Amino acid sequence: MTVTNSTNLLSDYRPPDGAFDEFVRSDGGGPRSHWAHVGTALAELGHRELLERQHEVDRQLDADGVTYNAFGNADPRGRRWALDPLPVVLDSKDWAAIESGVIQRAELLALVLADLYGPRDLLRRKLIPLEVVLGHPGFLRPCDQSAALAKGGMAPASLTTYAVDIGRDVDGVPVALSDRAQAPSGAGYALENRLVISRVFPSMYRDAQVHRVAPFFRALRRALQKAAPHKSDPRIVVMSPGPWSETAFEHAYLASYLGYPLVEGGDLTVQGGSVWMRSLGRLEPVDVILRRVDDWYCDPLELKPDSRLGVPGLVDAARRGVVSIVNPLGSGVIESPAMLAFLPAIAEHLLGQPLRLPSVETFWCGDPKSCQHVLSHLNDLVMKPIARQAGTSTLLGWQLSTSSRAELTARIQAEPWQWTAQVPLALATTPTLTPDGFESRRSVLRAFAVVQGNSYTVMPGGLLRVAPTLESSLISNQSGALTKDAWVLASEPEQLSGFWLNNGPVVEAVDPVGSMPSRAAENLFWLGRYAERAEGIVRLLRVVADRRNDFSNDANPAGSKCLELLLRALTSVTTTYPGFNDTDKVELPGDELFSLIVDVDRTGTLAHAVRHLLDAAYAVRDQLSSDTWLVIGNLDREILELRVPHVDRQGAAQNSLGRAMQSLLALAGLAGESMVRDPGWHFMDAGRRLERAIQLTALLRATLGSENDRATDSLLIESVLTTAESIITYRRRYRSQAQVQTALDLLLLDRGNPRSLVFQLERLQVSIANLPRKTEGTATDRLSAEERLVLEAATSLQLADTAAMAAAGATGDRPELDAFLDRLHILLRRAADAIDAEHFARQLPQQHFGNMR
Amino acid sequence: MPLRIIHRTEYLYDSSVSASYGQLYLLPREAAGQQVLGSQLLIDPTPDSYNEFLDFYGNRVANFSVAKSHAMLTITTTSRVDVSGRSVISEQQFLRPSWNDTVDILNVSADDAVLDARGFSFESPLVPMSSATRDYAEESFRPGRGLLEAVSELTGRIFTDIAYKTGVTSLDTSPDDVLALRQGVCQDFAHLQIACLRSMGLAARYVSGYLETLPPPGQTKLQGADASHAWVSVFVPGLGWVDVDPTNNCFVSGRHICTAWGRDYADVSPVKGVIFTDAKSNTMTVSVDVSHTL
Repeated sequence: MTVTNSTNLLSDYRPPDGAFDEFVRSDGGGPRSHWAHVGTALAELGHRELLERQHEVDRQLDADGVTYNAFGNADPRGRRWALDPLPVVLDSKDWAAIESGVIQRAELLALVLADLYGPRDLLRRKLIPLEVVLGHPGFLRPCDQSAALAKGGMAPASLTTYAVDIGRDVDGVPVALSDRAQAPSGAGYALENRLVISRVFPSMYRDAQVHRVAPFFRALRRALQKAAPHKSDPRIVVMSPGPWSETAFEHAYLASYLGYPLVEGGDLTVQGGSVWMRSLGRLEPVDVILRRVDDWYCDPLELKPDSRLGVPGLVDAARRGVVSIVNPLGSGVIESPAMLAFLPAIAEHLLGQPLRLPSVETFWCGDPKSCQHVLSHLNDLVMKPIARQAGTSTLLGWQLSTSSRAELTARIQAEPWQWTAQVPLALATTPTLTPDGFESRRSVLRAFAVVQGNSYTVMPGGLLRVAPTLESSLISNQSGALTKDAWVLASEPEQLSGFWLNNGPVVEAVDPVGSMPSRAAENLFWLGRYAERAEGIVRLLRVVADRRNDFSNDANPAGSKCLELLLRALTSVTTTYPGFNDTDKVELPGDELFSLIVDVDRTGTLAHAVRHLLDAAYAVRDQLSSDTWLVIGNLDREILELRVPHVDRQGAAQNSLGRAMQSLLALAGLAGESMVRDPGWHFMDAGRRLERAIQLTALLRATLGSENDRATDSLLIESVLTTAESIITYRRRYRSQAQVQTALDLLLLDRGNPRSLVFQLERLQVSIANLPRKTEGTATDRLSAEERLVLEAATSLQLADTAAMAAAGATGDRPELDAFLDRLHILLRRAADAIDAEHFARQLPQQHFGNMR
Repeated sequence: MPLRIIHRTEYLYDSSVSASYGQLYLLPREAAGQQVLGSQLLIDPTPDSYNEFLDFYGNRVANFSVAKSHAMLTITTTSRVDVSGRSVISEQQFLRPSWNDTVDILNVSADDAVLDARGFSFESPLVPMSSATRDYAEESFRPGRGLLEAVSELTGRIFTDIAYKTGVTSLDTSPDDVLALRQGVCQDFAHLQIACLRSMGLAARYVSGYLETLPPPGQTKLQGADASHAWVSVFVPGLGWVDVDPTNNCFVSGRHICTAWGRDYADVSPVKGVIFTDAKSNTMTVSVDVSHTL
């Protein structure tokens, strides 16, 4: 160990007394032996370097777009996932004990779940009091299987995935704090944590010989495949409440990591008794649903009537066994904290064993003796209602005021069975990086298990969460907890088993059309349109800004006229009427221009396009390259920050536009170079081409549709060519002779110009020819509505006579050009509508009938 | 003599419905003193899926879906039920067990029937626990009083205190509201009595069914004049479930036909469903006929 400030980093670390510390021994003997390697490596890096690595962690999380949406934050951008760079190290023997305890709990709770929705033997034997189950809102009577099980032929409810929050007591003994059974979250975040930390500390990670977490996800895949009892190659989807849900990042991350479509309730439908995904133009069967929607929300017919996140008929489909829902609807009941009080006896009864991973000491107030004890020890206990409900949360007895203690006592006395009390645990501490060095924080580990044959596989490590401050003992992501990677040291080198390599028969590829919900296609189409729209606005705004710099002082009449026309063109291209049709705004354009950049709620503005671009991207994040977030993550922050007052608003705006342009160009580059040409890509490209063509026709019509004096027109042509990114070619090709006809040739008819109209239409024809046909069996020689419209536009363009169009009419306008552009503009808009009508499933609003009295 | 029930519900929408998903609690179940001789359910348009099963409480449930576009939905059940087997409560049963003993038995007995009954002693979505209903009930539940004697008095008080009136209450009306309004329909009478019984620690369930109405003397009965009805069942140790009808202040007779029971209306609402439509309004027509058959 080198003697620098780094030694202080370790020796200055002083965890509080009265708690187990993961890192250092309580007898003052320095770091625990299994930390030796990592501790030395951290010390050698030193405090300053570790803070650098923290920046690197944050940068990587941003680049991967890792977010967590705290409650009440209805913004998919959420907030950045908080990851401490210091891993926590777990010794292999210690871990083996935890692992076996987690497996046993998972097995036990699986048996409990099957019993509660089947014979309910545990209730009859009074191993679980009736109230704890029948009074729990998570016990979903529509999901009861007892009648079907009695008849036979039905598999009992099974627990495919399971998670448990584990703390350590003063002696370091692991204790289960709460069980997660219905849609456990966090495994995907743990995987991402591992990815980032192993990148940020490559050599430390390599040398430490850490158990990998990837095999857990292989096991998850196998488990999901096995969840469909009747099929060898089941269709599996990941069901999410949508991009605004708390853990939306993880849903998309898991879906793309596992290779399953990410769906929302509206993407699924029950028809003819089976579950289907509304994919592009057809229905695709669904056999297994990995759900991340709380069970109560999954079916408006039999569960929460006003839920918009579910699928009517889903409970019945599960009842008939045509779909497997992982975990089964109704599994939330076993998460009840009251269950903790009864698990030891249940374990003895069902397994003939004591719990290997004991639960935190829990009292259920429904038992009169326990209730008495609880009421006389309120100050020392943590009170939890048996079900998590709005308005009732965990209460820390020692923090209660006299009046709230009296109120709580009354509530408990009124309905004692609704309450549990836990003995608080002095949670273990672990070092966390702060600007002042290592500080200790209370920590809880969430461990994950997935069914494997008759037992369970546990992710080595898991998601470690630490309290936000030194004093705090409440740990939840909602209250601002940090997370850590958990390293389980391998006692011997790990055997690699192949995930990808398979010596069996050649696997048939999944049809890309069937693996994409039509909602995803719709979002990709709009992603293309909004990205192009944003890019077009930026280009035009930049040209306007340049012209303003040149000609804002009225000294040059042609320059002023050109600026005026460009401002009006801006209004018509962005359709933000009346805008610059109002002459006062032309005189003083600053505010209107600023509004066109920053006004999110105004259709046509840059901010509006960017917001919708991001919304579309978040909704299909499983379909996009993971580099996407690197490129567009800060796009709207950039623009929104402009809204705070700046000394030099114009200058700040111009810098912002420059940076926005970089992001948009990078996004276009990703689309071109990193996306497979599947139907989704063709939708996105069709959107981009249509939008560019629509903008170009609008721009040309607004600028060249009428004739001006030669000085104005030549400035205008130059500006239009600059906006359309063709000025350099034009100058090279035509020297300095600005002419309307040659400009039109380059912008309308030049096949080699990727900004020309003909280029857009040709690409558009390729893309729409690759869109899936709505109904199979439709004659393929018949053109679709959008094909017909685009063909008509392309044909008109081929026949266009640019010489005639460049000629001015008697009244100073260019009637042929104007009429031609108008017609094309309309055809293209109709083509966009046709794609929308033809390909995107529109669901009518969900309503209710019945419930009459 | 068996009773025949024809229950027809028709929905007419002002715009087409692309899909309907429905759940029906319309097929009568077997119950003490009631025998189901036959029942048939017809749905128009023909459903693309139909599933009949027994729910948590043993009720017969029919789930269906119509996945094609339609502007009208008709659901017709025809059932034949013999309710002549209902027994009459004796004087002795009226006084024993006492209601206090019943509460004790509910709390301690491990008997299957009692455990099953205890499931109906907690609050439920439409019948939350409240002190107002307990205060109202206590008057009838003096210590040591016979359970059915107390229940009978409570039934009479509810019948007297609450006026039968349609259109005042809705599904959201709680038993507390009914007590304050002093008005309601049969569901409100039933929910109020259930709240009272549960607040005393007793087990009470909600029964959904039909009541045969008798025409005024000398007149013929109007078609469709009968109605869906609801009442209450209370658990009596040793005797089982005993049905009382607070809307009519009587123990349930040979004119009541039970279709299903649950904790409250929400568990057994006869017809409910989810539709996808732009329709702004729909017209619902319901007719129920109960008649004697051979």
